[in-house]
This record gives sequence, C-alpha cells and structure tokens, in this order.
Amino acid sequence: MSLQSIYILSALLFSIGLVIVLVKRNAILVLMGIELMLNAANLNLIAFNKTVPASLDGQVFALFVMVIAVCETAVGLAIILQVYRHYHTSVPDEINELKG
Amino acid sequence: MSSQALFSSLVLIALLPLLSALVATVIPASHRWITPLASSLLLALASILSLLLSISQWNEPTLVWEKTWFTLGESTVTAGILLNNTTLVLLSVVTFISFMVHLFSIGYMAGDKGEQRYYSILGFFTFAMLGLVLADNLLLLFVFWELVGFSSYMLIGHWREKDAATAAAKKAFIINRIADLGFIIALLIIWGHTGSFSLTSFNFEEQEAWRTGAALCLLLAVMGKSAQLPFFNWLSSAMEGPTPVSALIHAATMVVAGVFLLIRVFPLFTPLALDVVVIIGSSTAVLGALAALHQFDFKKILAYSTISQLGLLVAAVGTGAYGVALLHLLTHAFFKAGLFLGAGAVIHSLHQAQHSSHVHFDVQDIRNLGGLRKEMPITFFCFSICAAALAGLPLFSGFQSKDAILVSVFSWSGDQVWRQAFAWTIVITSVLTIFYTVRMLWFVFFEEAKKTALLTIQEVPTIMRIPLVLLSLGSLWWMVAFHPLDFSGWLLDSIQPNQEHNLFITWLSLISIPTLTVLAFLWFKYRKKPTTLGFLQEGYYLDYLNSLLVTKPILAMSTVSERIDKKGLDGIIHGFAYLTVGLAHLLAWVDKNIVDGLVDASGRLAKGFGSIARSFSGGQIQSYIFWSVFALVISLFWFLFY
Repeated sequence: MSLQSIYILSALLFSIGLVIVLVKRNAILVLMGIELMLNAANLNLIAFNKTVPASLDGQVFALFVMVIAVCETAVGLAIILQVYRHYHTSVPDEINELKG
Repeated sequence: MSSQALFSSLVLIALLPLLSALVATVIPASHRWITPLASSLLLALASILSLLLSISQWNEPTLVWEKTWFTLGESTVTAGILLNNTTLVLLSVVTFISFMVHLFSIGYMAGDKGEQRYYSILGFFTFAMLGLVLADNLLLLFVFWELVGFSSYMLIGHWREKDAATAAAKKAFIINRIADLGFIIALLIIWGHTGSFSLTSFNFEEQEAWRTGAALCLLLAVMGKSAQLPFFNWLSSAMEGPTPVSALIHAATMVVAGVFLLIRVFPLFTPLALDVVVIIGSSTAVLGALAALHQFDFKKILAYSTISQLGLLVAAVGTGAYGVALLHLLTHAFFKAGLFLGAGAVIHSLHQAQHSSHVHFDVQDIRNLGGLRKEMPITFFCFSICAAALAGLPLFSGFQSKDAILVSVFSWSGDQVWRQAFAWTIVITSVLTIFYTVRMLWFVFFEEAKKTALLTIQEVPTIMRIPLVLLSLGSLWWMVAFHPLDFSGWLLDSIQPNQEHNLFITWLSLISIPTLTVLAFLWFKYRKKPTTLGFLQEGYYLDYLNSLLVTKPILAMSTVSERIDKKGLDGIIHGFAYLTVGLAHLLAWVDKNIVDGLVDASGRLAKGFGSIARSFSGGQIQSYIFWSVFALVISLFWFLFY
C-alpha cells in the first residue's frame, strides 16, 4: 500500500468531513464532520511519519489529537445540549441572534 | 356770426339727435311716456337751429374747420367740418324730416314695447346722417356712412320677433356691406394718389385713369346705399320696418347719403365715369318705375318709386347737373316723406279699426283698400298733394325739379344716339311715374271700398296730421322758386347757377303731364281687371337671382370648404396630433425604460452588492465556515503557486 493512496484517502475523508460540516443542518452531524476531519488529519500525521521511520513524533501527535478530539466532542456535545435546552433546536441556522 | 360760434352751433346741431338717443336710452321704463316728447323736442330744436343757420349762412363762402385726427408714420389724417350751401340744404332737410318723423312716430309707435329703443336708434340714425353731411373728408364720411348703415339695420329689424323683419334687416346690411367694398377700395386709391382724404382738395387738371377707377368704386358704394341696379332689392324688403322709418330712410337719410356722396365727390368723376353713372341711374329709374306699376303692397309701390326717383337723381349727377340732383333730392325728400307718412297714417288707422272690429286682412295690400278719401279726408288731401308732386304736376315742386332733370339730360345727350336713348329712358320713367302714382291713389282712395267697408275708420290723431300737412306744404312749387314753372330759384342759383333752360321741354311737360294724369285716371276707372306680371311684381326676380348667383354658390363653396377643412386640414392637424402623441409615447418609453432604467439598474446593483455583503454576516455559522474555508483554500493556492 503506497503512501499516495493514504494521502488521497485522508484528503477524501477531510473533504467529506468539511462538506458535512458545511452542508448538514444538525449540529450533531456537524460535530461528526469535525471528527471525520480530525481523523483525516490523524491519518495524515501517521502517513507522513512513515517517511521518517526513525521518529515517532507523528504517531504521538496522533494520540494527542485523539485525546483532544474526545475532549472536544465532549465539550461540543455539552454545548449542543445546552443550546438545545435553551433554543429547543439543534439546527445552527435557526439560531441567528448574531445576524446583522 | 363768428367762426367759433358757427362751429359750435354746427356741432350742437349734430349732437342734439345723439342727445335724444341718449335720453331715450336712460329714461326709466316707468317714465317711458316722456321719451317721444323729449326726442321730438330735441329734434325740433335741431331743426330750428339748422334752418336759422342755413338762412344766415346762405351763399357765404365755403368754410372748413380741420384738426389733426391721427398720424400714421409720416402722413397725417385730418378730420373736420365742411360748410357750404350743399351742407346747409342737407342739414335742414335731414333735421326737418327727422323731426317730422319723430312727431309722426308719437302717434304711430304709441304702445309699442320697443318704443324707447326705437327713439334711441332714430336719434342715432339722424346723428349719423348729420355727421355724414358735415364731414369734410372721405374717411370721416365713411365712418358715418357705416353708422348710417348700421342704424338702418337696427330700424328695419325693429320688430325683431318678426322673421321677415330680421331677414330684411340682414339683407339691407349685407348688400350695403358688399357695396361698401367699393368705398374702401376708392379710399385706398385716392389716398395712394393724393395722400389726402380731404373733400376740398379735389381739383384735378388732367384726366387720369385712377380717377375713373376711384370714381367707379365710389359709384359701387353709392349703388348699394342708394339702391341702384343691381342692388335695389334690399330697399323693397326694408318695408318690413315701421313706416315712419321708411319715410326717414327714403327721404332724408339712408338712400340720400349715396346721392349726397356723389354730389360731394363730383369733381373726382371723369366724363367716362359720369357716363356710367347716367347709364346706371336711368336704367334703375325705368326698372324701378316698371316694378312700381305692378306692386300690390302699398309700401312696396312707394319703395320702388323711391328706387326710380333715386335713379333719376343719380342720372342727373351723371349728366353733370349735380345742383339739379340736389334740387330734386330736396323736393323728393318732402313729397316722399309725405307719401310714406300718409301711407303710415292709412295703415295705422286701419290697424286701429281692425283692432276694434275684429276683422283681419292685409291692410298693406291695395286690393283690399278703397274709398278712403271720405273716411280720411285730411290724409287723402295731403297724400294727393305729395302724389301730385311725385307725378310732376305743374304747381308742385316735383314739376320744377323733374323739368330741370329732363332739361339737363337732353342737354347732356346732344346729338349722340346712345345718349338720347338714355335720355328717353328718363322720359319714359316720368310717364310711368304718373301711371303708378295714379294707380296707387285710385286703389287706395278712390275706388269703391272693398274690405275696408267692414271697418269704421277714423282719421289719424292731430299729432300725426301735423307732419302730413307740413310736408304737403313743402311739396308745393314755392319750395323751388317763386315762379311755379321755373326751376332756377334760390337753391339752384346758389349751388350750380346758369342752368340751361329748354322752353320746349317745359311747355311739353306742362301740357302732357296733366293730360297723362287724366288719361291714367280714366284708364283705371274703366279698366276691366287688374293685370300684373309676376316678373315685375317680384322686382325682376332679383332676390331669386341673388340666391341663384350668390347665395347658392357661396353655400356650395362653404360646403366644399367645410369638407376640405374636415377632411384635409383636420386630417393634417389630426395627423400632427397623432404624431405628437406617438412621439410622446416613445419619449415616455425612453424615459421609463432607459433613463429610469439606468437609475433603477444602479439601485439594483447597489442592492445586489449589499445583499452579497450582507450574506457574509448572515448569522449562519455554516456560511462563516464556508467562507473561511474558501479563503483558506484561496490563500493556500496563493502561497503554494506564487
């Protein structure tokens, strides 16, 4: 398995995640898109680490990212929960108090 | 009398009738009985003043008062008064006849609902005629000439509720207007050649063509005003007016104005123009007399008789004897006013009688009358005297003036055959005059009473008898000269002295006129049945001819021009209108779509930009993210490839 196909996979994953973030209406799905993008980044980190076999920086970074992603998801879900309680919706478009 | 006093009194004489007109207008309707008395009084004053003035100024040198009237560029037009013997004669005649008519009208017009209007126009008419007589230049004369025409129009149409009267008034006015075109052209010609309108500056050395032209144009105006061929039909229609008005129009004002103008501008006429004058005058005279012989309307006989007598006057001027014309004008004024007032008296008393006995027939038709000499002796007597003067019996003024006309016509004709033919026309006219006068007298006064037998007729009141008596006195020989058979008396000797005498003509008429009168009486006494020719009764179908030659073509022309106007001119105008409206629509479209469109487009552009700019801060998180990513990608591309 060549590295290039991994790059393409990670790029695809990132793009899919980005599209989900941009297009999906539900905040939970948006959060899931973010997770996809983070995982695409992890994939990249690991793939790039393969070119420097002596080092393990990339893999460590990926572990950190996973941990932070979990935290992020927890915070994000908590926010969404709060928002839902407050606005009775989890669709970000319907919450437009900042609209000028 | 000083010049200033003379001038003032002349102006006063002219203004008195105008004052009478004013008084008749301003008197309130509740006091309308004052009007006839006040008007008659003012006219009496004017008449007495002019008589006194005439006596004191008779045979004095000609006097002219002139003042600048107006200035046009370099040229100045003056206006003023010309006083000579002709003026004095006319002044006295006009005021006296007008006074008589006023007096007569007191009885005749009593109870008429337009009485005040009648007196005011009557006064104005007299004023206009006096102004015409006094005027010293043609332009001023023309102004009064038109005023005379206007007032005659008002008086002929006095009974405005009668269609025939209004039609006759219009006819008189329109025919006179057409003829007045000649006056205006003559004014232009004379101004163009002499630079002056003054009547006193007429002394010409050479025969010039323009003089003939101007004279003929003036003749045209005279033909209209004095009812000469072919314009005479208005005068017979004018009989629709009140009878005293007819007396005034026929004797002293309207128709006399034409002859007066001829006498005033006599020096202008070249021999050629004078020949035309004689031809017109003598033809009118004989045609008028023939028509008079075939009328059955009392007043129309008199009207045609006036036409015929005016023809004689015009012919007399044409022969060069303008003094003779003035003499006949004077005598004619008296006897014709007397005849008309006599006719008015007959009509008035018959109307009164009809009113009380409820029998109705046309009182003006002489076939219905007869035998009035017993019922109305004074009217009969005065009427007969005036009729005798008209027929030209010796001892009456008509004899002398007609004798003068015949003498001057025959001295004019000399040996030329065509001239002699016209001279004989005048003789025939005189014979015919005797016949129609006797016919009229016979029918009205002598014949056994027909429809009038049903009425109880009374003589007219005294106020109407006075003018009749005075006018019949004025129809006697002493008006002309003390010698009853000689025409050169006080008037002719002062106006145009040294008139030729022709004893043969005088003696011949002295014998033939009474003989013819007796013959005519016998003819009407023993004739079987009154015959008449429709051709002559209708005044030569001149009305019909008018409508055929003038009215119908004009109507046809106006129809055609109406059509042209509607189809052609209106079409063009409508086309322009449509074009304008179309253009306006185009402009509106351009305005709406292009001018407004540009403004709108810039507005919409700004709005579009605004909405784009607004969409960046739409409060939608995902779009924020999209734009951030978009910007990130762009900058990524930027950093990577440049």
